Amino acid sequence: MLESLVRGRDLLLLACAASLGCSRAANKRETVLTFSGSALGAEGTLVAKQLKRFMQLNPDIRVELQRTPDDASQRHQLYVQWLNARVGNPSILQLDVVWTPEFAAAGWVLPLDRFGPAKAEFFAATIAANTWAGKVYALPWFADVGLLYRRTDLVPREPRTLEEVVDDAQSAMSRRGGPRYGIVSQGARYEGLITGFVEYLGAFGGQIIDDRGEVVVNRPEAVRALEFMRDELYRTRVAPLDVLTWHEEEARFAFQNGNAVFMRNWPYPVAAMSDTAQSKVAGKFAVSPMPASGTAPAGHSTAALGGAQLAINAYTEFPDAAYKLIAYLTAPEQMLERAQAVGQYPTRPALYDDARLKSAIAIPLDNARRAIESATPRPVTPIYTELSEILQIELHRALVRQAAPRAALDAAAAKINALIERTGMRKLMAAASKA
Amino acid sequence: MRKTSRLGSEARLGWSLVAPALSVIALIAIFPLGWTFWESLHLHELRMPWLGKPFIGLANYAEIVKDPRFWGALGHTAFFTVVSISLELLIGLFLALAMNRVFRGRGFVRAAVLVPWAIPTVVAALLWRFIFESQGGIANALLVRAGILDQPMVWFIETATAWVPVILADVWKTTPFVALLLLAGLQNIDLTLYEAAAVDGANAWWQLRHITLPLLKPAILVTLIFRTLDGFRVFDLIYVLTGGGPGTSTEPVALYTFNALLQNLRFGYGSALSVVIFAITFGLALFYVRGLGVRLGGEES
Repeated sequence: MLESLVRGRDLLLLACAASLGCSRAANKRETVLTFSGSALGAEGTLVAKQLKRFMQLNPDIRVELQRTPDDASQRHQLYVQWLNARVGNPSILQLDVVWTPEFAAAGWVLPLDRFGPAKAEFFAATIAANTWAGKVYALPWFADVGLLYRRTDLVPREPRTLEEVVDDAQSAMSRRGGPRYGIVSQGARYEGLITGFVEYLGAFGGQIIDDRGEVVVNRPEAVRALEFMRDELYRTRVAPLDVLTWHEEEARFAFQNGNAVFMRNWPYPVAAMSDTAQSKVAGKFAVSPMPASGTAPAGHSTAALGGAQLAINAYTEFPDAAYKLIAYLTAPEQMLERAQAVGQYPTRPALYDDARLKSAIAIPLDNARRAIESATPRPVTPIYTELSEILQIELHRALVRQAAPRAALDAAAAKINALIERTGMRKLMAAASKA
Repeated sequence: MRKTSRLGSEARLGWSLVAPALSVIALIAIFPLGWTFWESLHLHELRMPWLGKPFIGLANYAEIVKDPRFWGALGHTAFFTVVSISLELLIGLFLALAMNRVFRGRGFVRAAVLVPWAIPTVVAALLWRFIFESQGGIANALLVRAGILDQPMVWFIETATAWVPVILADVWKTTPFVALLLLAGLQNIDLTLYEAAAVDGANAWWQLRHITLPLLKPAILVTLIFRTLDGFRVFDLIYVLTGGGPGTSTEPVALYTFNALLQNLRFGYGSALSVVIFAITFGLALFYVRGLGVRLGGEES
């Protein structure tokens, strides 16, 4: 029995030596990176193309593509399982913007400072979102921002305040043959609700957690922001109650079919909505940053920040090669190519002066840049996901009128404070700031 | 003396014969349960390795007791279970009585009734969501046309109306199963009882109350035990239809546990929740079997 096993292994070795592929794997000197990330459709083609070019430039490094689910929460769950088992692959992780602090605090991704990333070349908010305890743990690959879409045939001038948005929506709706809905957005109980809330919150000068780490989501500014959102549903009635069950796509359908004056959404629908074959609003809409409230002195135009980051698996054998690849993929040329191929926004402000970007993203470059400059990261904390769940529930309760805005936000603040206590965040942050 | 030792060797033989089966049960049921219980005594957050994995005794259970979301979820689960099972028993009994009569095409009707039961729950739930989802949906259109509603409504943003599609979907899907179980019970009733009752001048109502229902009791209890345990573990239907919303007002315990365990990766706390669900369903099963005398086996009492 044992003998036959040994002989079997010898045979295998022989077969290995004979075939090139196996001898490569057996050769430990070769640097093999695994890259995981969105690899569907046009994005997949683009990634394959860029990885191939990278390998031509670096013949000593081989990069393999490792498929991961495209759904963010499924990918997150897989990453966490692998990293708990200290698996070194994939060597490069694609992180959602709100995951970086979690992975950093867990020690699952490497700090990048020793590689000397050119932090100043990226939008400040995109670096802030990837910074934990003073160190950068991931580089922004592409940015997503919340934008205000408006029908230019109904509202020719860009509204300067949130109050103007509501007025414009009401007058366009009351016009004969005007759209059924004023403002559509994603208001179901999920992460999308938080991104919308963050924008209203900033517009009224509020925050969820302040710079000193205090929970301030029940301060008066925040209560006013939530009241404004609720008034849009029940008082000014510019938003249909349906939005409380909607995700981004339902909002897009409504706007694309000509049923809404305004829409809050990400940049992705621009392409489909500019296509006359499927869109009733092609050539009749414009995109601008979400405005601030005209009644709140501390309010400022705010966009929620989304997008993907690239980070190095802390258990990889080849951190230097991995950084090389990240630097390559986040270099201006590759970002520009990405914008041209799939319309995703570069995270480098300098590219917004580049004429080649203009044809790649269908909206005026200045509007896009202004939106990203007004972008605010959601709370940069390792416990973001649970914090978000608490807020999702309490905000939704307020918006469906199960609770008053003030009471809902008080409850959220109490629960977030309890979460911070339970997870030992204060101690962790104190230790991190000392290090 | 000799007798006991023979019994002892017989017992030993018996044990050795059931040993393989017992070891399989130990492997697939008792071991995971024990592991889950052991896990539930720890603080174990997969996302927060800095907390370590300390043994914390019953602290997770103490947190459950103080967790209003858990008690809410327990209430929603009980509400769902009681309402949907009552409706299913009532309608199922009616269907079973109808199917028990001799008529042409009875075989076809019995098969046709089972169709909803054959549809996977997730698919059925998607179907019902589609019916109720938008203001232009089928449910709204029908109710407005019938004059019951003045204007279309959004079903999923109010607790009371969000339950409607949930309960309807469950009743639609599970009543056939209930009807079939009851039908099997009905077929065991000796027809001569009805003939004798008819000779004595008993009407249909009297026959139902004094012959059918008492003799159907074992079948009804078996149905109850199955459905109660199912109802208590309801997950996929609500996950798809309401996601537990609005707020958390339709969230059942299984969904809350899934959330703690697989969304938030709180292995310790989630395991404690799983153990609590197990204890409750086990207690319910015990109550049915011991308290109400449901006979799951074929033995005579």
